[in-house]
Amino acid sequence: MRGILGLLLLFALLPFLPLGAWGAFLLDVGLFILLFTALALSWDLVARTGQLSLAHGAFFGLGAYGAGLMVPHLGTLPALLLGSLLAGAGALLLGSVTLRLHGLYFAIASLAFSEVLRTMALKLPFTGGPIGLPVPPPFGGGWPLASYYLAFAVLLLAVALSLWAERSSFRLAQAATRQSEAVARVLGVRVVRVKLLSLLLGSLVAGLAGGVYAMKALFLNPYEAFSLGRAVEALVIPIFGGLYSTLGPLLGGVVLVGLEQALRLWIQEGYLVVYGALLILAILFLPRGLLGLLGGRRG
Amino acid sequence: MRLVVEALETGYGKAQVLFGVDLRVAEGERVALLGANGAGKTTLLRTLSGLLRPWRGRVRLGEVDLRGLSPARRARLGLGHVPEGRQLFPLMSVEENLRLGAAFLAPGREKEGFERVYGLFPRLAERRRQLAGTLSGGEQQMLAIGRALMGFPRILLVDEPSLGLSPRLAEEVLLALRAVAEEGVGVLLVEQNVALSLEVAERAYVMEHGRIVLEGPSQALRQDPRVREAYLSL
Repeated sequence: MRGILGLLLLFALLPFLPLGAWGAFLLDVGLFILLFTALALSWDLVARTGQLSLAHGAFFGLGAYGAGLMVPHLGTLPALLLGSLLAGAGALLLGSVTLRLHGLYFAIASLAFSEVLRTMALKLPFTGGPIGLPVPPPFGGGWPLASYYLAFAVLLLAVALSLWAERSSFRLAQAATRQSEAVARVLGVRVVRVKLLSLLLGSLVAGLAGGVYAMKALFLNPYEAFSLGRAVEALVIPIFGGLYSTLGPLLGGVVLVGLEQALRLWIQEGYLVVYGALLILAILFLPRGLLGLLGGRRG
Repeated sequence: MRLVVEALETGYGKAQVLFGVDLRVAEGERVALLGANGAGKTTLLRTLSGLLRPWRGRVRLGEVDLRGLSPARRARLGLGHVPEGRQLFPLMSVEENLRLGAAFLAPGREKEGFERVYGLFPRLAERRRQLAGTLSGGEQQMLAIGRALMGFPRILLVDEPSLGLSPRLAEEVLLALRAVAEEGVGVLLVEQNVALSLEVAERAYVMEHGRIVLEGPSQALRQDPRVREAYLSL
């Protein structure tokens, strides 16, 4: 808990730290850490029910496009909210059809879902198609730190949801569903409902993250917004940091996204090779992620 | 409240496993369901708890026809289940495993459930913070029973509780089930350990190849030459 609060405090104060010439760059890195960590937490929320989601890239994209299309008409906050609700609607649609499926089958269905949405973003008449969609910055660009603090707010929400799920009896329902669905059911746990609620909460957060991303990137295209790479990043971060926890994805996000940005700066072209090698080492030697180093238990 | 099973038939895919099973268990009653491996005992339990759909026949709990009801709904109506092989959550503490059994109760009832389970199994109270995976086999079985009791079932289905336990522990667990029944819970005990089950249960059914072939008071079954020969090797 102290670790979580410490990290959050660091992010809250980051814009005011004396970072000199590096300030602007570090603030950008910080923003991406905030967004992708929130996305990772929202993925972990679903993973806690034993479902491997490859649709988080799609929820992110739904939020991004939803917010991007609405922000010129409605303003920043309503647009973010609508983008998030759009992602939530997508999750309910996907979940109500597929959540009776187990692990691998759900993963494949969620992958298909994400491909369908990308195709729709390419073909629909109002999305800008393959050319892309320009998005105005938050609050008309009047406040330079707006997107950073919006990202911070998304992470706060993700952490709050994750902590709630970890500390309420919902955690038991999630863990039981993950470990043995049949036993959970005969004990009276409504497993489909537990899975659907987890997916809905996760998608709302992922959609918000996507919306803030759109306002930061100022430009969306379907390949970028619905990329499978983002869905993979959403699951790599919790695995690297420590699954089924709040601190794990938080640590994983700070280290991995930070590392990715740093490597891109130092090594440039071949940075993904080093990044991949580091991931392999982590999986080989840290089977429980960074949290395993700290000696936490999971269950 | 009674659990009444009438002419139940079911199976997996095209393979029929149960061929018209009739059975009843009343509250407070101890009933054993005996039979060799593959007789269909576990299939029957899975059908009763709603994990498997019946092809034909009826299952009623009190006045309620359970047809089409989900396992979670049945648990809420008062049908408890202690699954074969205990199926605890090994990385959760004893207390967390128990809380799971009460997942659907109002928080106030949970406390009552803890008192009841810890009263029945004082050893679980001593170990409430320990991870379930670190308990001994007998304690794990008690925890599995306790977990099911947390939901205040009226009828409790218990699948092979003596599996993998030493004879002494098996006896201890089965005697605990007698205490459970004395609190008014109907116990349907599914066992391969016929001698022990007939001591604990008041009535028993013997199942072979998906059919009930014998039923009666335990006393009578113990004297029945077919039971003596096939199951008690006397």
